[in-house]
Amino acid sequence: MKLKNTLSRAARRALLFVSVLGPGLITASADNDAPGIATYSMVGSRYGYSFLWIIVWVTVGEVVVQEMAARMGATTGKGLTDLIRERFGLRLTFLVLVGLVLANLGTTASQLAGIAAAAELFGVSRYIAVPIAAVAIYLLVTHGTYNRVEKVLIALSMFSVTYIASAILLKPDWGAVLRQAIVPQVHFDTQYLLAVLATVGTTITPWAAVYMQASIADKGVDMEHFGHTRLDVMFGAAVGNVVSAFIIICTAASLFARGIVVETAEQAALALAPVAGQWAEVLFGVGLMGASMLAASVLPLATTYAVCEVMGWARGLNLRRADARAFYGLFGGMIGLSGAVVLIPGIELFPLMWLSQVANSLLLPLVLVLMILLANSKPIMGRWRNRGLTNAIAAVTAVLVSIASLALLAGA
Amino acid sequence: MAIYVSQLIGKTVYDPRNTPLGRCTDVLVHENGHAAPVVCAIEMRLPDRKEQLVPAQQIAWLAPAIILSNPTPSEYLPQGTELSLRRHVLDRQIVDLEGHQLVRVNDAQLVRRDDGRYLLTSVAVGGASLLRRLGLERVSTLSQRVLGTAVPDRFIPWSQVAAVQPDAPIRLRVTRNKLEQLNAADMADIVEELDRPSSVALLEMLDDEVLADAIAEVEDELQPALLAALPDDRAAGVLAAMDPDDAADLLSALEEEERQEYLARMESEDQQAVGRLLAYPEDTAGGIMTNEFTAVPANLTVAEVLEHLRTSPQAREDETMYYIHVTDEAGHLEGIVSLRDVVMADPSARLSEIMQPAPVTVGLLTSQIEVAQLVAKYNLLEVPVVDDEGVLQGIVTVDDAIDAVIPTAWKKRLPRFF
Repeated sequence: MKLKNTLSRAARRALLFVSVLGPGLITASADNDAPGIATYSMVGSRYGYSFLWIIVWVTVGEVVVQEMAARMGATTGKGLTDLIRERFGLRLTFLVLVGLVLANLGTTASQLAGIAAAAELFGVSRYIAVPIAAVAIYLLVTHGTYNRVEKVLIALSMFSVTYIASAILLKPDWGAVLRQAIVPQVHFDTQYLLAVLATVGTTITPWAAVYMQASIADKGVDMEHFGHTRLDVMFGAAVGNVVSAFIIICTAASLFARGIVVETAEQAALALAPVAGQWAEVLFGVGLMGASMLAASVLPLATTYAVCEVMGWARGLNLRRADARAFYGLFGGMIGLSGAVVLIPGIELFPLMWLSQVANSLLLPLVLVLMILLANSKPIMGRWRNRGLTNAIAAVTAVLVSIASLALLAGA
Repeated sequence: MAIYVSQLIGKTVYDPRNTPLGRCTDVLVHENGHAAPVVCAIEMRLPDRKEQLVPAQQIAWLAPAIILSNPTPSEYLPQGTELSLRRHVLDRQIVDLEGHQLVRVNDAQLVRRDDGRYLLTSVAVGGASLLRRLGLERVSTLSQRVLGTAVPDRFIPWSQVAAVQPDAPIRLRVTRNKLEQLNAADMADIVEELDRPSSVALLEMLDDEVLADAIAEVEDELQPALLAALPDDRAAGVLAAMDPDDAADLLSALEEEERQEYLARMESEDQQAVGRLLAYPEDTAGGIMTNEFTAVPANLTVAEVLEHLRTSPQAREDETMYYIHVTDEAGHLEGIVSLRDVVMADPSARLSEIMQPAPVTVGLLTSQIEVAQLVAKYNLLEVPVVDDEGVLQGIVTVDDAIDAVIPTAWKKRLPRFF
C-alpha cells in the first residue's frame, strides 16, 4: 500500500514536471535548427571533441539570459520589446525591431532551406516539401490554441533525440568525450573565433528571449509560481545543449577522425552514411526536419509578436479589429517570403544568411545590454531585479558577444 | 496650433533673455477628471544634471520655443494628482473608451488656452504620429505623392482615454470613473489583452458588482488567474456578487483545495447556492443553470404578486425575471407566467388564471446542446430546470444556453498565441 502511494506520488510528480515544460524546452530545441546543426557539424568535423567545453559554458550563458527574460515576463506581464519601448523610447525600439525582422527573415529562410535539404535526403523534391511545410506551419500556428501549438512544438523538439541515437550508433570514446568537455582548449585563429561566435549566436538569440518573455507574460505566470518556469528554462537549456553536444560528438567521432570537414547539415548527414551506416543518415535527416519545422514556427511568431506589441496592433486576439490583419500578414508574409526565396531555382542563399548573421551579431549585444539594464531597474523589477551572480554572468556574456561580433564584422 | 509633447522633450528651456537654462525632460498635467487637464509643470534637466520642476505659471511659451517668464524659476511642489506625460502616457498602453480597446500612445497633443495656460486635449495613436516620432515624416509625404493618400493619424480626445498604469491612487480614481462607462464585455476584452499587473490593478479599483460582471465575461481559462491575483477577501466578495452559475463555472475550474477555500469564505447562503450547482457536470442544464429565480404560489392575485416582487429578497436577487414561476408548497413547478402578462393583467385576477400551465422544462442532466435547441425551437428567454419529482431547481437563461452553440471561444475565434 505504502509502495503504491509512493509510486503514485512519484508518477504525479513526473507528470507535473512534464506539464511545466514549455517555452524553455521549445526555445532551446529550436537552437538546434538548420543553421545550428550546420554550425555543430562544422565545429565537430573541424575541431573534434575539443569544442565540447564551449557548449558547457554557452549553456550557462543561455540559462542566465533566458531566466532573465522569463523573470521579466513574470514580474511585468509585458513583452521584451514592450518594456524596451516604455523604458528607452521609440527610436531604439524601432532599431531593435528592424534588426529582429531582418535577422529572423534570413534565419527563417535557412529553416525552410533545412526542410528542403531534409526532404531531399529522403528523395522528396523541395518544390513539394517546402510549400507543404510552409502551409502546415501557418495553419498550425494560426488555427490552434496556444496549448495545442505548444504541444505540437514540444513533440517536434523530441525529434532531436535522434542525434543522441546517431552518436551512440557511432560508439565514440566516451572517456575522451568527458575529458574534453571539462578541460578547456583554446585555438587562436579567426576560423575558431568565428566558430565560437556562431555557436553562441545560434544558442543565445534575441528572438528566443522575446519568445520566452512573451510566453511567460501571456501565460500569466507570476513570481510565486516562478520555480517551475526556472526549472523549464534550465532543463530546456540542458536538453538543447546536450543535443548540440551529441551532434558535435557524431561528427567528431565519424568525420573529424577521418579528416572530413563539412559545412552544412545535409553534408554532415550524407558524409555520415558511409562511415556510420544508413541509419545515421536517416536519423540526422529526421532531426534536421523536426528542428527546422520547430524553428520556422516560433521565429516568425516571436518576431510578429514583438512588432505588433510595439506598434500597439492587436496581436491576433480579436477578429473584429482590422488591425489583426497586420499580425497575420506579417506572420504569413515571413513564412511565405522565406519559402519563396528558398524555391527560386539556383538561388544563392549565402548573401541572405550573411545579412541575417550581421543583423544578429549587431542585435544580440544590444538586446543583451538592454535586458541587463531592464532587469536591474528597480521601478520595473522591484524586488525581483537581478542579483550579483546573474549580473556578472550576463555582463560577461554580453561583453564576450560584443567583442566577438565586432571581430566578426571587422573580419568581414 | 497644436503642440506635440514628443517635440517638447529634449528641447532647450530659455529664460526671458534667451539664455538657455536646461532641457525639458517631461510635461506634467493635473489629472483631475476634467476633459482637458491643464499643464501644471514641466520637468527640466539643468546643466549639473539635477532635475527641476518649473510651475506652469512661470512658462511664457511652450512653442515654437520653451521660454520661461522668470529668469530664476521657483520649484513646483507635486500634489499627487499629476500625470507625467512622458513617463505615464507616451509609449504606454491606454484604454480607448470610444473604441473599447487598448491602444499604444505615440504622442500627446497640447493646445494653448487664451489665458496662456496649456491643455492636454488628445493623444495620437495613428501611423503618422509614429512616423513623426521616428523622424520619418517623408514616408508619409511619399505615400501622399505615390499612392495619393497620406498615412492616416488617429487622435483620441483625452476625455475618452483612461490611463491604466498601476500607481498613484488619486489618479486611479479618475480612471475608475472613466472606465465605468464601459460595459462588462468590453472591459473583459481589455483585461484579456492587458498585461497581468495592470489588469489586476484595473480590476481591483472596480467595486465588487462591476468586477464580478467583468470577470464573468473574461475567457474561462483566464478567470481563475485573475481571481487568484485579487486579495482573498475581495475574491470572496466577487464570487458572492457573481451569478451563482458563473461563480460555479469559475470554481469548477479550480483545484479542489482552492475551491473549498473560496467556498468556506462565502456566506452560507451563497455557499449553498454555488455548492449545489457545482454538483452537476458543466455541460448539463444543472451545470449552467442559476438558482436565482422568482417563484410564487398559484393562489395569489396579480396585485399581490406585484407587491410580493417588490418586497421579496428572492425576487431582488433575480437578475433577469423574464418569467414568474408558479410553484406549490413543495416547490413543484405548476406553471410560468411572463412578467409582461402579469403587468398587463387585471390586478384582481388570480395567477392560476393567467399562467401558462405545463411549460417546456428540462431535467438537471439534460445536455447543454439540447437546452440550446429547445430555446431556439420555442423562442424561449429561459427554461426552467426541474428534478425527477418535478421540483423547480433553477433556470437556464438564453445567454447561458446559447453559449453551447456559440461558445465564447468562437466569438473570439482567433487564438491567443503566447
